[in-house]
Amino acid sequence: MSVSVIRDANHVPDEPTAEEPAAQLAIRTEHLTKIYGQRLIAVNDMNLQVPRGSVFGLLGPNGAGKTTTLRLLLGLQRPTAGRAEVFGRPCGPNAVAVRSQIGYLPTNPKLPEDLRPIEYLDLLGRLFRLPREVRKPRIASLLRAVGLLDATDQKIGTFSTGMCTRLGIAASLVGDPPLLIWDEPTAGLDPSARRFTLDLIRELGKTKTIVVATHILSDIDQVCDHLGVMHEGRMIFTGSMQDVQRRIGRDDFTLELDGDPETVRRLVRDAAGLEGIEVRTRDGRAVVVQVADGRPRARALADVLQLVETCGLSLRGVQSGQNTTENAYLQLLQEDEAHGFHR
Amino acid sequence: MDSTGRVCTAHHISSVGENGGQCPPYKLGTKLMPFLAILQHDLRGLWAGRLVRLWLAASALMTLLLAAANWLKFQDATLIASLLFPYLVFPWFFVVVVLGVSPVSGARAEVLADGILSRPVSRCEYLLAAWLARVLLVWGVYLVVAVPALVVVTWARRPVPEDTVTLFGIVSALGVVGLVLTFLVSLGFLAGTLLRKPLLAAVVLVFVWYPVGVVLNAFSLEEFSPISLSRAMPTQLRQPWHAAGASAGNKASAQDMEALARQVDHFLSVFSNGQARPAAAQPDFFESGKFGDFSLPRVILGYGVPTLMAVALALLFFYRRDL
Repeated sequence: MSVSVIRDANHVPDEPTAEEPAAQLAIRTEHLTKIYGQRLIAVNDMNLQVPRGSVFGLLGPNGAGKTTTLRLLLGLQRPTAGRAEVFGRPCGPNAVAVRSQIGYLPTNPKLPEDLRPIEYLDLLGRLFRLPREVRKPRIASLLRAVGLLDATDQKIGTFSTGMCTRLGIAASLVGDPPLLIWDEPTAGLDPSARRFTLDLIRELGKTKTIVVATHILSDIDQVCDHLGVMHEGRMIFTGSMQDVQRRIGRDDFTLELDGDPETVRRLVRDAAGLEGIEVRTRDGRAVVVQVADGRPRARALADVLQLVETCGLSLRGVQSGQNTTENAYLQLLQEDEAHGFHR
Repeated sequence: MDSTGRVCTAHHISSVGENGGQCPPYKLGTKLMPFLAILQHDLRGLWAGRLVRLWLAASALMTLLLAAANWLKFQDATLIASLLFPYLVFPWFFVVVVLGVSPVSGARAEVLADGILSRPVSRCEYLLAAWLARVLLVWGVYLVVAVPALVVVTWARRPVPEDTVTLFGIVSALGVVGLVLTFLVSLGFLAGTLLRKPLLAAVVLVFVWYPVGVVLNAFSLEEFSPISLSRAMPTQLRQPWHAAGASAGNKASAQDMEALARQVDHFLSVFSNGQARPAAAQPDFFESGKFGDFSLPRVILGYGVPTLMAVALALLFFYRRDL
């Protein structure tokens, strides 16, 4: 299942499209709006569709409205206007059936400090109405899986940020829900714990729908197959990762060079003679190679690399602008701001 | 964790729970499981807090001091009433109110509430469980201290004239004080839900509760004030069961209804600026020892209905508000 067409975020289909019947959507919002105290617009007329089975990255700068959107889905907050559905059921404060389908991991989870991990997970298991014979073995498996078996006799208050996040992950999985909503799951983690979390998302994504809200672009790159970009409370882009690259496709390369700046400038002058290629310096020791439409990229790159060798420069690295979500993301934000009133 | 370990771990987690979140059909016990889990969690959390333990120790100490100070002076009923008196006024009312305020107000409490309310739990379940935990705890501390004291006072031989305290009187007196405490917890609960800041809620409640006698007096409801209840307690403690029984019931309930109607009439007349019906001559409420118009059903209604209203309003506000 994939979203084959990039959707204009402001367009709301009256009925689900042929590619995305409602039954195939894990999350659907229509004109979802949240205004705090008639002062702050946190979520602005947002239309979002998350396909079942996808790993959906909800990307946006701080204050874009990501966390508010997730809290609206969980019924922790009430929308000012619009509606949200999870697996076809409306969200709200008393939507118990909806929340039984969701495993939520908040940012830097604050857990009851006076409890021990087993007690905490047992409490959550009971909130999910799991019978003892299901609950107890599952808690043991989860604690082992997140590497907290050695910490079962410690109170949660003594846990580090990483341990709290791992326990929060286990907590979100206690009810074995088909939808996981994780808000900045890698925030404050060391590289090893971050690696673990990303591997876990990849693995869980094989059987569950996962929504990962973050502003860390590399996380999205590594684990997500669908992306939604929020800016100032609005969803400015939704689509698959392929859609992102197609939309933002940039035929440029960045060459990192080793040599003196004067030689790099000579390379730029010499490259001006190459047809369909524009080279400009960046930061003194790197050049950006822009390839014109219709010019084969591999051939263009080969020509420039030959020039690099001719000039006596060493090549330290090549980066393709097409592959960086960062470029896509920044371009989307710039476009959104450039639209001004028409936004 | 090495990479091999990580992969195994991830596989392991993804295979945990193979029922896809589906549970067998619910029985009643399963249905109540979240409610009982929150109740147990809250009771445990409250008991772990310093406030409750300090209160328990302080109320035990105060009971001991009051009993020792009045051991040779008061008859049973008066001594028991003096032991119950601190629960109706400062300082214990303040402790009880603060206990009621805490569950849904304050940043820390809200974060922990988030952790529970983002699971399959309704707000009603959460709030009722939190309220019941506080009521049970307050009743627990109160009874753990009061009951042994009352047993000792009633059974001990003291150099004071014999008294006619009845079992019914003791149970009803304990019940009345417990009802007032339940009302105070519920009032704190409502204030905490409305105001969201525990300190502000507690301060507001102190300002509301202190002049309560004056307010009740303005509405001719002085028999419900804590001081009046305390003064009526010795009479109630000597009340035999049959006086509240069915034989005297018709007369008593007719009087109760008349008194209730008069109070409602007066209450409304305060707002409408009109004249209340002239009351029939009754024994003066504050005449020494004559608390003839202390009516258990009226007190139960007088505190029970506002308690229920406070809980219902707290539920309503909590349902409407964002977390």
